[in-house]
Amino acid sequence: MFIRMIFKAFFRQKKKMLMIAFTIALGASLATAMLSVMLDVGDKINQELKAYGANITVTPKSSSVISDLYDVDGENVTGSYLAEDELGNIKTIFWAFNIVDYTPFVTVSAQMDNGSDINVTGVWFNHYMSLPTGEELYAGITSLRTWWEITDGEWIDESEAGEENCAMVGAQVAQEYGISAGDTIHVRGSASDVDLVVKGIFDDGGDEDDSVFVPLDTAQALADMDGKIDSIEVSALTTPDNELSQKAARDPSSLSVSQYETWYCTAYVSSICYQIEEVITDSVASAVRQVADSEGQILDKTQLLMILITILSMVGAALGIMNLVTASVMERTQELGLMKAIGAHTGAITGLVLTEILVTAVIGGMAGYFAGLGFAQIIGQTVFSSSIEIRPMVIPIVAVLVIAVTLAGCVPAMRMVRKLRPTEVLHGK
Amino acid sequence: MGKRKMYLRMITASLLRRRSRMIIALLAIAIGATILSGLVTIYVDVPRQMGAQFRNYGANMIFTATDESVTEEEAKSAIAVIPDDELVGAAPYWYETVRVNDVPVMAAATDMEGANATSPFWDVSGEWPSSDGEIMIGENVANTYNLKVGDKMTATYASETDESGDASGDASGDAEVIMDNYLDFTVTGILDTGGTEEDYIYMSLNDMQTLTGKEISYDVCELSVSATSDELNRIKDAINEAVPSVTARLVKRVTQSETTVLSKLQALVLLVTIVVLALTMICVATTMTAVVAERRKEIGLRKALGASNRSIIAEFMGEGIILGAAGGLIGSIMGFAFAQAVSRSVFNASISLMPWLVPVTVIVSVFVTAAACMIPIRSATDVDPALVLKGE
Repeated sequence: MFIRMIFKAFFRQKKKMLMIAFTIALGASLATAMLSVMLDVGDKINQELKAYGANITVTPKSSSVISDLYDVDGENVTGSYLAEDELGNIKTIFWAFNIVDYTPFVTVSAQMDNGSDINVTGVWFNHYMSLPTGEELYAGITSLRTWWEITDGEWIDESEAGEENCAMVGAQVAQEYGISAGDTIHVRGSASDVDLVVKGIFDDGGDEDDSVFVPLDTAQALADMDGKIDSIEVSALTTPDNELSQKAARDPSSLSVSQYETWYCTAYVSSICYQIEEVITDSVASAVRQVADSEGQILDKTQLLMILITILSMVGAALGIMNLVTASVMERTQELGLMKAIGAHTGAITGLVLTEILVTAVIGGMAGYFAGLGFAQIIGQTVFSSSIEIRPMVIPIVAVLVIAVTLAGCVPAMRMVRKLRPTEVLHGK
Repeated sequence: MGKRKMYLRMITASLLRRRSRMIIALLAIAIGATILSGLVTIYVDVPRQMGAQFRNYGANMIFTATDESVTEEEAKSAIAVIPDDELVGAAPYWYETVRVNDVPVMAAATDMEGANATSPFWDVSGEWPSSDGEIMIGENVANTYNLKVGDKMTATYASETDESGDASGDASGDAEVIMDNYLDFTVTGILDTGGTEEDYIYMSLNDMQTLTGKEISYDVCELSVSATSDELNRIKDAINEAVPSVTARLVKRVTQSETTVLSKLQALVLLVTIVVLALTMICVATTMTAVVAERRKEIGLRKALGASNRSIIAEFMGEGIILGAAGGLIGSIMGFAFAQAVSRSVFNASISLMPWLVPVTVIVSVFVTAAACMIPIRSATDVDPALVLKGE
């Protein structure tokens, strides 16, 4: 009989139940979309902040102490280098997955035809690597210098043939020597000389405008430095610093075993630095404070902002659903009063109404969950051009929210039912 | 006159008599309006507040001398071009090569407060120098000389050094240089930046003047300006025009990246605002529909008594508009309170009230409420009153 009544209720009030289900679906989709976006926004913004370039630099141990003090004309005179064949190791550390990009640097000084000195920097542009793990990737400076404005020509593409003799020339150098894309320049290093085809002119707005960038091998050949590199710039996705990571950054050995485990297994910039030092012989990896610190701050703020907006919209969705449920139950006072008049207990009526509403809520909630995932994807694609991860933990949160809110919405109506006096209701008061 | 009075009485009586339902309706509208005004306020304010956060990346504009070096007056008049409320910090730098234990070290003299404002990412263990005779040294320098916070050190300046070793210390050919000036310093802080700053020592402008015996002049001045990239370009041009002896440049790395990231953030908040608003407004509409649909019988009865469709619609709309306006007003206040709370907890800054948002919120609320009432009223007035009264 109970089931029959419920079924009847659904068919009889199809329209009304549909509207309740629709509103609950809206609320649920809102909650789902906001929660999904909120949980993913950290990763997405982190990815965007990579536009600021590398947040870790790796230098040889001895040079890091005195490098710039005796550093004359950009050439490394301390005589310590990192080994090129260890570069692949960076992609094998615990947090390898968080290493977005990296590139080696080697700077040599060379002479132009007219005898003037010029800095030639060897880097990877889009270097292809196949790792022992079977992974394949491209790494290089192209995505680490997003702010470079290519004023003439284009980026060097290492996969094309003949690219080893190409160069990217800084705006300052180009202006000074009247170089434009397509020109050929002759540079003479301490060991050999080479003809370089200028592939592009870039404007960095900083010191690098004074340099000529060439593929790594070409620069090494100029000064007979095969297999040697000066420094590495690494761009890594990191977790904002906290007390533990600051303590660890000062001295990892001051941590207790469990603290060390936590630190080592969290993507703090200091633990990634530490892990890089483990795989590159005689190296010092240090965080570029300008990038690492600011990233942390902006990440924290964005996340907090999204959390608060999510809370607002969830409260809004909750109150909206609650309101409608209350309104729709109150609307039925006459029907409920009639039931009471013919002898139904308050409990029986409550059970009936609750079951009806809850069935509607579950249907609406499920529909809303999927619609919400759709909304989240729209936001992800439009803003970040990548999809938002679907997290299972959103399901229980939304489910609890919908059911709790629906029940809460029934409370005032139920209290009213209890107080209902059939005669008055039927009389129409 | 009597007709209007009656109309008003009917509306107020109807609102008061059906108090509990009206509270539900009002609550629904107020929630919608709160979300509307709160989110729009945040959306409008986010670029400004977030822009301030992005100043953590340090200076986004620098100016150098067109020829030699920048004098104090030139720097002052160039900085004066930037509007006060947009200037986050300005730090002039004066670089000289000094010697510590006979080894050349790059010394930078600057206004410490300005440097702190333009480079908030500098991680100083110890204190920033606050008076003359105090010095901040880079971490690499500290390691080289084995100096700690509180240690004393002496810097000497050789006034006869040749000028060619301008930016980096020239260690060669210094045998016959006369060391005529020296100054004692207390190390108050050790600087960690992960960049070349770690190889420098930082002292006050006065100390540098005493040490070198030269007039104060700057090699470069770093500026941190809270403005969009278009505005920055305008300011840059304005400085170049106003003070021809300096050349202002934008730090591309910072400005370019900021534009990219900030526009993404703004797009995110905009899209979220639109989605939340659309869904909330539909929620409000369904609640209003439910509240009005309940009164089909009443509508039918009135029609049976001879009321015209127009007068019925006019009455219900009147109720709807009052509810919408009241809800909109309440929502504007609550929305502002919410935006203020968000701004305080996220950015530690208060938000300014946008007066235009109040009428907009009220109008949108009234519109949504009226539209939502219209559907059930139409369906009730369109059918035969007899059918409505019978309950079909």
